[in-house]
Amino acid sequence: MNSLFEKDHIKIKVSVSDYEDAIKKVGQILVDTNSIKENYIQSMIDAIKELGPYIVMAPGFALAHARPSEDVLKDDVSIITLKEPVCFNSINDPVYVIMCLAAKDSNSHIDLMQKIATILMKGDTIENLKKVNSVEDVQKIFEI
Amino acid sequence: MKKILCFCGSGLGSSFMLEMNIKEALQKLNNSEYTVEHSTIDDVLDGAADIFVCTHDLVRNAENKGGKVIGINNIMSKDEILEKIKKAIEE
Repeated sequence: MNSLFEKDHIKIKVSVSDYEDAIKKVGQILVDTNSIKENYIQSMIDAIKELGPYIVMAPGFALAHARPSEDVLKDDVSIITLKEPVCFNSINDPVYVIMCLAAKDSNSHIDLMQKIATILMKGDTIENLKKVNSVEDVQKIFEI
Repeated sequence: MKKILCFCGSGLGSSFMLEMNIKEALQKLNNSEYTVEHSTIDDVLDGAADIFVCTHDLVRNAENKGGKVIGINNIMSKDEILEKIKKAIEE
């Protein structure tokens, strides 16, 4: 199966204490795969503190990301589903699914992002992600 | 050509998805008067676009920049985007 997310880029039913912890955990996946430096995680959290919870872009779903920078080693995405949802103080709370996007520049990730966005916008994708029981279930949702 | 500028904090995520959905909405509305671009909040300058579009948390950043401002609650909702774009271009 070809999926937009590799197995080691997915974690399901993750326990988190709050939204910052959730961003740390989805970001840590990309630290572990050598795609970002740890600083990128703080940049993602700082962006929310500065601009508000705009990354919660649909009910139940957040796309954690920061600007392209030298903290990004390669374009990559990771995803977690949460055991218990967290609140970002957004109208789209509570959040069950968090994706992390890292991009080296403003254009290189467009192709990947377009594929992910097309799947996310299919209507029931977020609902299906809430209900996954295995990493393979997530891979299947993002099958290409 | 008139311009719609979709923006978000980084110019990577929501702004890009908004651009995709707005282009689709304009096609459905048979409207070819507008170009659609995505960018970061830094490009939200006076007169930069006829319509600024962002997630609703960012709306205040585009106020008083000479364009209409549309805040989207659910950027995956093609219906919400179509309805709000239709209203803005018909006004």
